[in-house]
Amino acid sequence: MSCSKPRRRVGESTGLHLRATPLLSSFAYIVAAFFCSLSFGAEETVTVLPANIDLTGPQAAQRILVQHRVDGNLHGPVDVPPKFTVTTPGVVEIRDGQVVAVGNGETELHVSTPDGVATAQVRVSAVDQPFEWTFRNHVLSVMAKAGCNSGACHGAAAGQGGFRLSLRGYDPKGDFHQITRQTRGRRIVPSDPGRSLLLLKPTQTLPHKGGERFTSDSLEYRVLAQWIAAGTPPPSTTDALITELEIFPKTVILQPGAEQQVIVRAHFSDGHIEDVTPWAKYTATVTGTAQIDGKGKVTIVGHGESAITAWYLSRIATATVTVPFSPDDAPELAEAPARNFIDHLVTEKLRSLRIPSSGPATDHEFLRRAHLDTTGVLPTAAETKGFLDDPAPSRQKRDQLIDALLERPEFVDYWSYKWSDLLLVNSRRLGNAAMWAYYAWIRNRVEANTPWDDFTRQLVTSTGSALENGATNFFVLHQDPREMAETTSVAFLGLSINCAKCHNHPLEKWTNNQYYGMANLFSRVRTKKDEGGGHNMIYTATSGELIQPLTGEPQPPRPLDGMAIDFAETQDRRLHLADWLVDRKNPYFSRAISNRVWANFMGVGLVEKVDDLRVTNPASNEKLLSALADYLADKGFNLKSLMRAILRSNTYQRSSRATKANAADTRYYSRYYSRRLKAEVLLDAFSQVTGVPTQFGDYPKGWRALQLPDSNINSYFLSSFGRPDREQTCECERTAEPSVAQVLHITNGSTLNDKLAAESNHLTKSVDSGKSAEKLVEDAYLRALSRRPSKKEREGIAKIIAAANDKRLALEDLYWSVVSTKEFLFNH
Amino acid sequence: MLDVSGDGSAHTCDGITRRDFLQAGTLGAVGFSLAHWNALQAAGALKSEHDSDRAAIMIFNLGAPSQMDTWDMKPNAPREVRGPFKPIATKSSEFQVSEIFPLHAKHADKFSLVRSCYHTGAAVHDTGHQMMQTGRLFAGGVISPHAGCALEFLRGRKTDLPAHVILPEPMGPTGGNMPHGQDAGFLGKAYDPFVLNADPSKENFKVPDLLPPEKIGDARLERRRQLRDIVDDTVDNFEASENAQLMDTNFEAAFRLMTSPQARAAFDLSKEPQKVRDRYGHSRFGQCCLLARRLVEAGVRFVTLNTFITVFNEISWDIHGSRPFTSIEGMRDIVAPMYDQGYTALLEDLDDRGMLDSTLVCNLAEFGRTPKVNPAGGRDHWPQCWTIYFAGGGIQGGRVIGRSDDAGAYPAERPASPSEVVATIYKSLGLELEAELPGPQSRPFPLVDFGTRAIDELF
Repeated sequence: MSCSKPRRRVGESTGLHLRATPLLSSFAYIVAAFFCSLSFGAEETVTVLPANIDLTGPQAAQRILVQHRVDGNLHGPVDVPPKFTVTTPGVVEIRDGQVVAVGNGETELHVSTPDGVATAQVRVSAVDQPFEWTFRNHVLSVMAKAGCNSGACHGAAAGQGGFRLSLRGYDPKGDFHQITRQTRGRRIVPSDPGRSLLLLKPTQTLPHKGGERFTSDSLEYRVLAQWIAAGTPPPSTTDALITELEIFPKTVILQPGAEQQVIVRAHFSDGHIEDVTPWAKYTATVTGTAQIDGKGKVTIVGHGESAITAWYLSRIATATVTVPFSPDDAPELAEAPARNFIDHLVTEKLRSLRIPSSGPATDHEFLRRAHLDTTGVLPTAAETKGFLDDPAPSRQKRDQLIDALLERPEFVDYWSYKWSDLLLVNSRRLGNAAMWAYYAWIRNRVEANTPWDDFTRQLVTSTGSALENGATNFFVLHQDPREMAETTSVAFLGLSINCAKCHNHPLEKWTNNQYYGMANLFSRVRTKKDEGGGHNMIYTATSGELIQPLTGEPQPPRPLDGMAIDFAETQDRRLHLADWLVDRKNPYFSRAISNRVWANFMGVGLVEKVDDLRVTNPASNEKLLSALADYLADKGFNLKSLMRAILRSNTYQRSSRATKANAADTRYYSRYYSRRLKAEVLLDAFSQVTGVPTQFGDYPKGWRALQLPDSNINSYFLSSFGRPDREQTCECERTAEPSVAQVLHITNGSTLNDKLAAESNHLTKSVDSGKSAEKLVEDAYLRALSRRPSKKEREGIAKIIAAANDKRLALEDLYWSVVSTKEFLFNH
Repeated sequence: MLDVSGDGSAHTCDGITRRDFLQAGTLGAVGFSLAHWNALQAAGALKSEHDSDRAAIMIFNLGAPSQMDTWDMKPNAPREVRGPFKPIATKSSEFQVSEIFPLHAKHADKFSLVRSCYHTGAAVHDTGHQMMQTGRLFAGGVISPHAGCALEFLRGRKTDLPAHVILPEPMGPTGGNMPHGQDAGFLGKAYDPFVLNADPSKENFKVPDLLPPEKIGDARLERRRQLRDIVDDTVDNFEASENAQLMDTNFEAAFRLMTSPQARAAFDLSKEPQKVRDRYGHSRFGQCCLLARRLVEAGVRFVTLNTFITVFNEISWDIHGSRPFTSIEGMRDIVAPMYDQGYTALLEDLDDRGMLDSTLVCNLAEFGRTPKVNPAGGRDHWPQCWTIYFAGGGIQGGRVIGRSDDAGAYPAERPASPSEVVATIYKSLGLELEAELPGPQSRPFPLVDFGTRAIDELF
């Protein structure tokens, strides 16, 4: 049995276990006892983090954590202070929970607690070597941590009080110049470091608008003072560069009220490792679950799951804390039936969080939902009746419906509209002819179910006439290489790289260099302009570079973290970009589109917002997003395959009714999340139910809103219900937020009231049909709510209708009442 | 009296009474939940009660008046700079105004000029609209909220009426095809202003959609609600989503607006004596000024009044001198008289009712105009320097802040940027300049850019 991994089953033992550990520092054996007492059958040990400790240099120290481990999962820290012993003396000491280097060598560090023992391997080197704080790795880290170079202070574009630093220190050379040379070097006094403005200001010895950042007895002060005393060594090309950032624990299960220190380690290009826990900057993504202070201490405030991110020297590491919801005995937790891989992974997540799922949706709920999410139209009354009365087994008829919906012409309308939102099809910016060409290009591909990788490749490498090859309008809209790079990243990778335009992205790994490498891929895209006519020509030149302002030089053309191509290469650089984009090995591409499709059906993206995929904004179910992305790639980027898998899953087919135990869940799909119908879908639904189409400008009579190619069509209804303007590539342009103006418009406005009152609409036909009041009620319900009324509804309403003198007006009021309810206005 | 210095003690919630709390949670703003309120409290965005009840009326002079022909005359400059009009003495000992504003002259003790406003964006109307109303130029996909929307987000509504109303309608096309900054931007549509979308000077003026179509009488309205309750009742709590609850809140708010006598009365100009309506003038602008006063009186926190809607097909301040724009004579004969009458009536009326100190009235524009008259006899766009002015809301009247050079071309003293102008509005309203708004990608966005100060000399 190995020292570091004592494994056993509680059920197999008496509960008390003795264990001997050799200890060479004294010639005695220390006996450490531990016992396990937690839940029945669980495998229970402790773990020390990090398990391999590497200390370099005379000041080296490493914080360590001793955590519970149950069934292979890390839980909170041990309650009782552990006992530490080493196998080789004179290598390290333990001070305040830190392993401190005292002599070169290697040793095992044994940790013993009442709950178990664990061992870490320790290696110490260069204790006898001189140590110097470096500007690049230490001074800038101090300034980042103290907030000196934050966006609100000296890191602002214009600096503060004449002192300007690069945001979070992305430009060490420039910062060094600012600190040591600018304003004739008055910020530094090499002969007497303590008199340097760099120390007098942040300690508020001299008045400092930014207040006191640290005190003169702090480590921060010591780093800066010693660096100045050492003669302010500048950043050099031989500095060790950071290569990796690690965070401990990577995943941990905690309970509300618990506290958990995290540890952050940086690996450098010269092989040394540093504990940078005090210098990292921390954030928690779900602050309702976890909060983290500046020292890396997490406090659990609620149930759920949150990512913890640590930033250090433009690197990011993330950890996940899971705080399970209800107690173990929730009956609903019993394995929900799985239809496919989606259900397995959703259930796994729900179980880990102990969230029970809602039951299955009824046939009529599924019918309406699947129609709206797949095609944007309501089922007709006849379709509803046919589906509900079909005696076939539910799964069989649902599968048939899914297959049929994916082949409907309305499917093409709906998804063409969706991708037109994404790609900004808008006559106001393109003119009418080009708008039509752009829309037709998209629509043809939706109709042909062109695989998403082909779609993307064709678009980003498009050349030629904007009227003949509609795809080129993507470039007509974005005339600057930077804009092209940003839009391509958002649309196809879900990545907002805009921040990196001016400085390293503070929430992502993208650097200013990578931004300009990406943008330089577009620097040779040219437009032969046709002023006013829309007949622009997109072509690529064989020369031309985009200059990166920070360096004054172009960056080698390189797709984000892909391979660069040679400056001299004359082939269209976008071909290289397209190869990288759609490569199976590029995780961003398949994840971004999978997330978009998933969000369409599930209402909430695995990553929210769908345009904001980044390391510091992880998916609520990473495994599921990866699985969806892999599935889509395996199916050759056939979007319908992915849609079919989602639609068939039991996850999609859950009821939207929250149970008491899952009402708080908004991210893990324990139920179907209801949402307001989109502007276009709602308007079309009003038209369909009343049998009165909406007239849009000069478009043919009877065209539905979802058939419109263009967003530049006046419609009070559509704009007040949140139709996107198609000005910027962002799902956020569309809003589903209900407003008072919307309610007023439904209640008093002309759109709905005119449809209800229109001559020879469906209501006229209903009155003329001479049907009984109860039949009329049923008809209204089938048309609008895709279900039959309950007995109470049927009778209650029929009584009111029957009592009315004017049947027609009563019917108008009935229809108004039905379509103004949440049941109608929402997809559920 | 006002404390916006942001000392630590202001970051509290002393001023929040239980009544405020209930209003915010139930009757209060659309989407203004208790959790949200608590978050604001924690962020220190809410200040004590005494200065939180100020309202603002932002008169936006779309088209952009010429500073040399209005409030910053240059009588000693060469003819091609000084233009056709003469300065006249005013009730303020510190400044003169153009002869085209005789009524302004009589009320000059109530307002103060800032003659050194400037911006550094492109000289198109739209950019100035963005900056002057939100404090920021829209860039990198960040659509900043209008000052009134930020106020609504931070404070919620006071009564049945919306917190922020735009009169008579939002800005239309002004040539730049860019957003104008009259909505809630990244705060989300829940904080968009309530838009009147009607002309209050029209004979049958009413708020669109506020009242049911006439043919639907009270009996049918009642039947509709009765029927709706039956349908709604059956579906027990099928939606736990925030938006579904927001929809409920909206139905309540809309019904309250429709049925609130107070709210309906606020929009009903026929309740004003004819003499008062005459005093404001029977122009769209004049009656909007009157409506603005009524709305503020009834509890609206912020009114944005667009003097004009577009620079096309409408006589406006945009005096290029050539068609389809306006000539200097058009400004003198049509624009100035109705503007002079409506604005001064508003000041006088607010003053008479003792509302001036609790109501900030600011008159803004997107830029100034070229110091030299162009060959068409007009003046073109000039964002380098122009004049704006403020009254009420804790501002001391009758003064001039900042100075332009001899040609009115550049600020000579105390340049004032759009972000400082918006900060001034926030200061008058008692908002913490350090408050944070939830920006795009949940990035915290300061109310104004860090370090921006109000134009403190005005107070």
